[in-house]
Amino acid sequence: MEWSVPDEPERYKASLQEAEGTVSVTSLTRDGAEVHIPETSVEAEGRPGRAMVKVGRATKLAHIARSGDTWWVHIDGRAHEVAFHEQGSRDSTSEGSLKAPMPGTVLQVMAKEGQRVREGQHLMTLEAMKMEHKILAPKPGEITKVHFSEGDRVDMGSSLVEIGD
Amino acid sequence: MSPEWMSDAPRPFSKVLVANRGEIAVRVLQASKEAGLSCVAVFSESDSSSLHVELADESVLLEGGTLEMTYLNGNAIIEAARSTGADAIHPGYGFLSERADFARAVESAGIRWIGPSAHAIETMGDKISARSLMIESGVPVIPGGQIPVEGGADHLGALASAAAKVGYPLLIKASAGGGGKGMRSVSVPKNLRGEFEAAAREASAAFGDGTVYIERLLNRARHVEIQVLCDSHGGAVHLNERDCSLQRRYQKVIEEAPSPAVTPGIREAMGVAAVTAARSVGYVGAGTVEFLLASNGEFYFLEMNTRIQVEHPVTEMTTGIDLVQKQFEVAAGLPLGISQQEVSQNGHSIEARVYAEDPSRGFLPSIGDLVVWRPPSGPGIRVDSGVREGDSVTIEFDPMLAKLIVHAPDRQSAIRRLDNALSSFVVLGVRTNIDFLRNALTHGSFQSGSIDTDFLDSTDPSELRGPDPDRPTLVAVAASAQRLGMDRQHFAGTETVDDHTGHQGDPFRTLGRTFP
Repeated sequence: MEWSVPDEPERYKASLQEAEGTVSVTSLTRDGAEVHIPETSVEAEGRPGRAMVKVGRATKLAHIARSGDTWWVHIDGRAHEVAFHEQGSRDSTSEGSLKAPMPGTVLQVMAKEGQRVREGQHLMTLEAMKMEHKILAPKPGEITKVHFSEGDRVDMGSSLVEIGD
Repeated sequence: MSPEWMSDAPRPFSKVLVANRGEIAVRVLQASKEAGLSCVAVFSESDSSSLHVELADESVLLEGGTLEMTYLNGNAIIEAARSTGADAIHPGYGFLSERADFARAVESAGIRWIGPSAHAIETMGDKISARSLMIESGVPVIPGGQIPVEGGADHLGALASAAAKVGYPLLIKASAGGGGKGMRSVSVPKNLRGEFEAAAREASAAFGDGTVYIERLLNRARHVEIQVLCDSHGGAVHLNERDCSLQRRYQKVIEEAPSPAVTPGIREAMGVAAVTAARSVGYVGAGTVEFLLASNGEFYFLEMNTRIQVEHPVTEMTTGIDLVQKQFEVAAGLPLGISQQEVSQNGHSIEARVYAEDPSRGFLPSIGDLVVWRPPSGPGIRVDSGVREGDSVTIEFDPMLAKLIVHAPDRQSAIRRLDNALSSFVVLGVRTNIDFLRNALTHGSFQSGSIDTDFLDSTDPSELRGPDPDRPTLVAVAASAQRLGMDRQHFAGTETVDDHTGHQGDPFRTLGRTFP
């Protein structure tokens, strides 16, 4: 079991120990290297979605829930996400591909296959909730593939356009 | 049977259909019940298990997969009122609330329209005719000029010369617009064409009318608006101002009353201007006159919203006047029953709009299931929401999940109360702007009351980022929770099955509901 936090590529692994309804962390590694954290343990609070979390010497109530492969933790007044992954899996992000940042409808397609584009060039316009969002080239290069045309519906994370060097 | 309090009303009604969804439908349905009125909800297929449907005495399905077929379908909504015997329609905000043709169709179907006349909606809804009327009535308007531009590429020449006359930076606005849709700022001529086309497209998608116009963009100004209330006997009062300067891309984020920038003198002058504006169209009902307040204390008419507004609760909290109840009274033909001198201002109220959006990724709408939804509560805390735990957030509708409103004796304590309430607002499963709201609220510029409408868009995002979380510890907590099997603790235990009827859910919650 591996773990990660949003927008960071590092993978974490945790060693845990369980006793009488309390799980404590005995060690934590990030990309294989040991990370030192305060002594941390979690005890279910009895009601669903609530737990007493002890970090160092402080114990506090946290709201914890899982949705899909993401664990949501609300603690100290803020919500956080932690994703878990099966061992060794990697996100299949290929360099230069542009993914839909949200589900929506393709409104305009400016990019053409074979076209050379500048960084920041407007490639596509998506619409969601009646607002328009521009898809811009993250780097200069040649358009190798345009996956959608105007009017298509796209899911979050679908590859929209691919840019080669 | 109309309620007792309507017995002397010239035009009583007894059953209100709410032509909306989400939090405002919930707000109006609840107000109807409190007023002793029966209430009817309308809903689209995907809203069939939404909170507003659950709350209504009756509900009618609007069939079809698009907004045009459902919440924007005036004929189907009037038909729903007929079939349920509803004798009044409240439009909420958005959707059909500012469609003069709908108001007219409702009235000619013999149903009470809870809103201003079609004439007032039409005049104020067309930003160009509103502006001319304000100039005639002596209400100050934004310097520069405006030129109507019909949608279509052949108008680009006219647009360019008009833009040159108005000067840059300028604002392209949808004539039928609102809520920042179809609105674009243009700082240099070379962006004019692209922004114009985008604005016209957004305007026709959102309002079915691609007409846009241009206006000089005033920098360093605040957005201050006046709530007005008018009856059908010539009575008109204003309920002081709301300050909505904290905006992101022209979408209001945090609103408050009173405004930290408004002196008693400005309040009075602005109030008089707002009442003048309302009277000039023979306005009846609750409405809002929006102004831009320049740093020198001068103010200019922006537009009049001829409906209840999202941010109406801050006025309710500080004046003690229930605006939706007042809308009912005025629609029934009753007099306002309050004079300007009787309008009080008590303490300070702030509203924060909780959106399903991701501030770390350009505020893109976020989706998911509200696995945990625990709004805060306590003295001086009000939550107007259209969702509940377990609901799915989709991209189909506006991403606003709830409005969190606080009331406190003064501005500083209201800010602290709101920050604290936001920190105990637990939403898991969908990314929200709650952290961002806290960061904006506690930013020095907001605290000191010195922001203008550009604040959010011009402030370095790093200043609006919260403290960096201790990521390794969060991983440790999540891993421990998984080991504890916290994902296997089922929430099903909260839903009871009635032994006699076999119905699922709390019987008291479903009691009194009928389905046509």
